[in-house]
Amino acid sequence: MKYAAGVDVGSTQTKCVLIDENGKIVARALRETGANITRAGERGFEAVLQAGNISRDDVLCVTGTGYGRFKVEFGDLQITEITCHAKGASVLFPGTSTVIDMGGQDAKGISIANGEVTDFVMNDKCAAGTGRFLSTAADTLGLRLDEIGALSLQARNPVRLSTVCTVFVESDIMSYVAQGKQIEDILGGIHSAIAARTIALVRRVGLKPEYTFTGGVSLNVGMVKMLEEKLGAKLNVCEDSHYMGAIGAAMFALEHALAASGS
Amino acid sequence: MITTTASRNLEEVIEECRTIFDIPGIEPAVAWKHAERGRKLIGCFPVYTPVEIFHAAGALPVGLAGGGNRLEIVHSDSRFQSFVCSIIKSTLEQGMTGMLDEIDGMVFHSICDSARNLASVYTRNFPNTPVEYLHYPQNFALPEAAMHLRSEYERLATFAASITGTTVTPGRLKESLSLYNRIRRLIRLLYGLRAERPHAIRTSELYSLVRVGNLTPPERHAEILVEALAAIERREGKSRDRLRILIVGSFCEQPPIDLISAVEDAGCYVVDDDFLIGRRWLIGDVDTGVSDPLLALADGYRNQSVASPVKHDLRVSQSQMLIDRARRLNADAVIVLCAKFCEPALFAYPLYRRALQAAGIPNLFLEFEEKMWMFDRVKNEIETFVESMLFA
Repeated sequence: MKYAAGVDVGSTQTKCVLIDENGKIVARALRETGANITRAGERGFEAVLQAGNISRDDVLCVTGTGYGRFKVEFGDLQITEITCHAKGASVLFPGTSTVIDMGGQDAKGISIANGEVTDFVMNDKCAAGTGRFLSTAADTLGLRLDEIGALSLQARNPVRLSTVCTVFVESDIMSYVAQGKQIEDILGGIHSAIAARTIALVRRVGLKPEYTFTGGVSLNVGMVKMLEEKLGAKLNVCEDSHYMGAIGAAMFALEHALAASGS
Repeated sequence: MITTTASRNLEEVIEECRTIFDIPGIEPAVAWKHAERGRKLIGCFPVYTPVEIFHAAGALPVGLAGGGNRLEIVHSDSRFQSFVCSIIKSTLEQGMTGMLDEIDGMVFHSICDSARNLASVYTRNFPNTPVEYLHYPQNFALPEAAMHLRSEYERLATFAASITGTTVTPGRLKESLSLYNRIRRLIRLLYGLRAERPHAIRTSELYSLVRVGNLTPPERHAEILVEALAAIERREGKSRDRLRILIVGSFCEQPPIDLISAVEDAGCYVVDDDFLIGRRWLIGDVDTGVSDPLLALADGYRNQSVASPVKHDLRVSQSQMLIDRARRLNADAVIVLCAKFCEPALFAYPLYRRALQAAGIPNLFLEFEEKMWMFDRVKNEIETFVESMLFA
């Protein structure tokens, strides 16, 4: 059996996926990106080979994606993460028309028709709507990033934030803490504000169901629920949603390998 | 200064151009001024200024184009709101850091609210620098628009003469018009050549050839353009299978040259643009065989100038002209590249987008600031846009 790989070097984490000749995911690996982007891609790729117990020689093609894609020097292709997220989403959820991607440092809206990108929008110089915002909020409250989503679901009276600035939100949070507000209510307010901000961004490319939620923030159950409430629609989310860029990249690699072999 | 030799290749010409214009200040123009006693400089804020009038008065019209990405804004942020575009701030910053001390007169126009206010802010901060303000006509349908503009130009001629001591006579003005007609024809030739053979000249190179005219005497600029045309003819190159892109929206504040290169590096040929559009504002020759050349120049603005968001000409649909232009150039897509907080460009964008979508022409909106130094994000967007068309 031969394989294809996608290596998504994101701002915070590097995600790698291996798929077999039939497009089935056979292994995943996730590593912190850190300061050495080249090494992050290499470590991620080594990890996914190890996870799948697959030899490098059996990998026909590798696509690098994410902001560090050009540092995936062992890769055969470099494709932007927007194109790869769209590809991954349309493969896993073929009915996808809109992708909402919330990563470590950016948020994106991608419009898709027939599996191809027709329009896209990115946040500009602002971390609102990204993992960084939620990470800052979690730090301020002394919580772990992976627990704030579930806690936010327990909000009874979500607070209203006066800012979605990642820097200034700390002041709002501390003010609410000083007022004795429940942590769950503060988190509910944070998730609500960020969901509204993200939907406003995605609206620029048009809000058209089905929606597929990708990126690291898609692991946050509170954000999934808040986006669904505000959109009035279900989101396509699965346990591989944060690997979506790498999955799309691997799909491109497979297509490239098959085309090269004439299959 | 540039030295001409018959065998210079295009790269050498461009290199010289960049050493002249790719600086935060206006030193080459100052050097021209100091080379001979009594020479004067008149600063011209973009987008378009009838520079022939100043040339006819014996001054060197200096094309202001902001401070680029190497000018640190220290003073002017305290004079303008945060939502004002970069070129307004950098122009004032240039003044406040002494870069424009050798300018003997400044001209601003009614192109947008920010530029309008810059004229008064500049006057207040530099009371010893004569400042003139040009009111362009708002109603082009009326024949009186040309007469109105002529009276404005006459005021500019008086202003220029008060600085240089040389009266703008019809004879002198006709000579200047002929020279600038020639420069515009040469630039049009270069633009036509690029549209036809975009592999023969990169847009960053074409941009350099036009931009050097901001700080160079027009006589010398014409020589450079002639030399460049000859060098392009000698250049060997092969056309590649790339997307043909039309870029609009950067008519006033200029994007960093590395950003222009990024569009090409992403796999595009830029087949037309509106960078430094003021130097190509008039699309035909101004008639020099008339008794009133000032009126001919004004009439050129009214009847023979480009469509632009800073020109409120209701006789034409700018959106339709954009569509026509894209089709005429066989463009695959349009990139609307707007300066951040540029009101005229941002007001035009929704109209452009609607028209482009209706015409089925792929389009991408990007924002820039002249002070941009990192281009990863913009490159990412351009590459995605290119991918979306290549994979479609």
